[in-house]
Amino acid sequence: MSSQHVLLSPAELSYLHASLSLQPLPLRPDGRSPTQFRPLVAETGILPGTNGSARICFADGTEAIVGVKAEVERTVQPFTQDTQTTQDEGETPAEDERRKEEVGGSDWVEMTVEIPGYRDDDPTTVFLGQMLQEALLADGEFTKRLRINGRFHWKIYLDILLISPPLSYPLPLLSLTTHLALLSARLPRLKSEGDEDPLFDDDWAASTYVYPRDNNKKDGKDGNNKVVARPPVTLLVMAVGNNIIFDPAREELAVADVALAVSVGEETTTTTTQTGGDDDVDMEEGSTPGKRRLRLLSVRTIDPPSRLTPPGVPNATNTAYTAPTGTAEAKTQDGARTLETERVEGVWKAPRGGAKVMVMAALVAKVLEKGGVADEVLDGLEAVDLG
Amino acid sequence: MPLDTSSYSLALLRVDGRRWNELRRINAQIRTQAAADGSSYLEMGHTKVMCVVTGPSEPFGPARVGRTGAGAGATAGASGGEAGVVVSIVVAGFSSVDRKRRGRGDKRIQELQSTISSALAASLHTHLFPHSTISISLHVLSQDGSLLAALINAATLACVDAGIPMTDYVAACTAGSTSTYAANDESADPLLDLNHQEEQELPGLTVATLGDSDRVAVLVCESRVQVSRLEGMLAVGVDGCKQVRAILDRVVRDKGRKMVQEGTVQKGVGLEDMEVD
Amino acid sequence: MPITIIAPKPAQQRYAAPQDSPDASDSEEGDDLSEGGADLEGDISMGHRPAKKARTDGKYEIVTPGEVITDDPQWMRGHGTYVSPAATSIISSVAGTVTRTNKLLSVRPLRARYTPEVGDLVVGRIVEVQAKRWRVDVGSTQLASLPLSAINLPGGILRRRTDTDELQIRTFFAEGDLLVAEVQQLYQDGGAVLHTRSLKYGKLRNGIFVAVSGMGGGGGVVRSRRQVWTLDAANGGGQIDIVLGVNGYVWISKHVEPVLAEDQKTTPTTAGPITNAPTTTGITNLEESVSATMYSSQNDRIEVETMREIARLRGVITALVENGLRVDEDMVMKGYHEAVEMALTYGEGGQDDVYLGGERGEQLAAVLRGR
Repeated sequence: MSSQHVLLSPAELSYLHASLSLQPLPLRPDGRSPTQFRPLVAETGILPGTNGSARICFADGTEAIVGVKAEVERTVQPFTQDTQTTQDEGETPAEDERRKEEVGGSDWVEMTVEIPGYRDDDPTTVFLGQMLQEALLADGEFTKRLRINGRFHWKIYLDILLISPPLSYPLPLLSLTTHLALLSARLPRLKSEGDEDPLFDDDWAASTYVYPRDNNKKDGKDGNNKVVARPPVTLLVMAVGNNIIFDPAREELAVADVALAVSVGEETTTTTTQTGGDDDVDMEEGSTPGKRRLRLLSVRTIDPPSRLTPPGVPNATNTAYTAPTGTAEAKTQDGARTLETERVEGVWKAPRGGAKVMVMAALVAKVLEKGGVADEVLDGLEAVDLG
Repeated sequence: MPLDTSSYSLALLRVDGRRWNELRRINAQIRTQAAADGSSYLEMGHTKVMCVVTGPSEPFGPARVGRTGAGAGATAGASGGEAGVVVSIVVAGFSSVDRKRRGRGDKRIQELQSTISSALAASLHTHLFPHSTISISLHVLSQDGSLLAALINAATLACVDAGIPMTDYVAACTAGSTSTYAANDESADPLLDLNHQEEQELPGLTVATLGDSDRVAVLVCESRVQVSRLEGMLAVGVDGCKQVRAILDRVVRDKGRKMVQEGTVQKGVGLEDMEVD
Repeated sequence: MPITIIAPKPAQQRYAAPQDSPDASDSEEGDDLSEGGADLEGDISMGHRPAKKARTDGKYEIVTPGEVITDDPQWMRGHGTYVSPAATSIISSVAGTVTRTNKLLSVRPLRARYTPEVGDLVVGRIVEVQAKRWRVDVGSTQLASLPLSAINLPGGILRRRTDTDELQIRTFFAEGDLLVAEVQQLYQDGGAVLHTRSLKYGKLRNGIFVAVSGMGGGGGVVRSRRQVWTLDAANGGGQIDIVLGVNGYVWISKHVEPVLAEDQKTTPTTAGPITNAPTTTGITNLEESVSATMYSSQNDRIEVETMREIARLRGVITALVENGLRVDEDMVMKGYHEAVEMALTYGEGGQDDVYLGGERGEQLAAVLRGR
């Protein structure tokens, strides 16, 4: 998937590439540090008609709104006798079904992405939606929360709207907004017990958060209550040379050697063992209690638009450079050879070939670093007042 | 739940406590987005919509191919001599009480798009921008009746913000009647600005006028109503449009005054000085 | 701190139905409701209500679409106005402030796209290459066009245009290339025709591009005395050129002295098969050598210090625009000096001091407003 078409001149691309690959630290066009995000305005609870909602605006004017709606849905009964969620640990055929029932199916969440100017079956839109959904479902933590009882569950509809035209690759924006909307999402309190038809408390004030807060501080007014578990967040990371850059703007992405969408979740402190999918890599060894344990949920490569950019023409081969009319022919041929072989300083050349494994590993490690970007982003989002 | 209209004749108050000729609270902002050519946010009661205008601009490159290929939105105005007005509406799945998703191809949305497109194309001075396109992107965040009216108002505000010349504001609102068609009540009163509940039960129409004049730009009636009641409804609707226009105008003026005060925009010459010249 | 989250601005005041206007809600309040349907009396009176509003504080007042500016037939209508077919009154068609030039009345919109005028210096980007001309995006409502006949061909101004040039049109400018040009003329429909027939104009390189809003209103770049200048950057950044296109497109680049023919041989960029540049001096030769780099898309070597100052200048311009200040030479220079001073207070952080987003931008704008 090509993330976006950008129209930049070879001279600009060359300049950007040069400044972003500076050692030891890249120089970004807007002066941000490599790990710095664009400043953003965030608010939650903007739509009273939803279970949870959030809105984020970046300083460059891109804006997204996410709304969460929940509906009670009858769980499709697995074809098994044992529907009781007992704690037996036998490896029976029913085990899989039982787990599915506990963890929930991927069809419990429906996600739609709307981008102005794009159809909803456009590859860009579908890919974005898939990426966000995949991160949410990867560890089964989310759907586990949607279980009401053995027969019913909540079905969550996530509608993600990009309001502004897509000025930069909207993935980080959409992911952060979705994260906030899920954080602020609340479900009515269950009054019924066991497997009977669910009955809910009408009082919205008594509703519970999908991602419950720390119970140490009962008073919701405190504003300081800590959320124990958090929805995943997908970060866009790119590399130019050996530099790793977070939240790239459009023109930065245009010169990326490699771009990755890295989804990070937080392991709940209560659970002990996780039977993760293939993607799961636990980066942290021996975490201290109370500290956040980050886990990698998924990694996707984004095709950076840099590969589609036309190369710059070095002066040596530029017929318009000095054009004594007679020699133009000969020069072009000479030039064609130079173009293939060597890299001229100050001339843009689109990156060729795949990304280095080392770079990819460094990108992922950088995201999951203790006290690193993902950590701080999660902290930052936590501080947003949940209306 | 059927709407209880019996209490109306007793207290002369509607389900939400309004009188027959009261608008719901309207809250609007312009320039909500820095990057767009024009943008607006509008609330009519609990109906909330956002609008972003791009253009007028001449499409080029992949955008041109993509736009015609996608066929997203309704276009009005010829492509050659004057600017086309492309409207696309996204109704968020979470906007109504029950979550319902409407695709881009939904007939109802297409109809809304073409109504708004032709209404605005009539007021905007599109002849000033040959070969260009004005694309209006509307997002419905919350629905509680009078959706078309809210969309028209938001689009008008965003076009004003984008600095696109127009004859006058296109302001819209809805009007209804206090009793159902079946009741066939000759003495039924007209109602102004229907909410969702009223819209479901009672006959209603959406009317948009051009500025302060009585020139009707849009008139949509999708319910059955005795023709004798129509005149009253229309009159109340047109009157409501004028109130809406005054509110929209105030929003623009407040923003403009603020911009002039902050020095973003140069001061103009006082009109009073001009007369003595 | 990788992420800055700003609290949203407090909600705007709400607009209730206007109570001062003679609308139905007031006048009909006490009426018997059976009469409510026949509200036509009120409507007619509304129709005759003059659109002209009482302007209490005319100092900051603006006109809005549909508002009558004047009934006096002595005035002529300009941009942003129209004359109603029935009457002679001049009516505003946009929201903005009134300006007048002699007898011409026009309304300057609060914000609009760039409207080209002859003589404007613009920065543009090639978006389409046609047989004998380029189509250039200048942030206007239409694409501008640059005919092949309106550029300086390499090898001297006086060289004749040949068929070969037409075939090689992409070697001069290709899609995506940035250029600085002047608006030469306007078509009837408002489309602009550009030219680059001067040594000041041509392809841009060695720098960075930033698009802000242009001359249409609502901040951004304004027409001023000088749109192009060279400044001596702080912190050993060398000389930097700034091109403020009237259309709001800005180019910030390293200043490069034109390479003379003699030097050409020794510069590493031209090392290679072409060193056959004539060594004779003279006016034609000067032009020839200047035009040598005219269509190059190869950047010169740029020092890190220069790049840092270029990024800082870009930050200044973005901060000015985000905070609704005008962008011209004066403001950019003031802002730049302020930013350099501010950077000192951020300590020896190194890289981080270039950043001017978020709070720092507001701080900068506040200082500039205070002057």
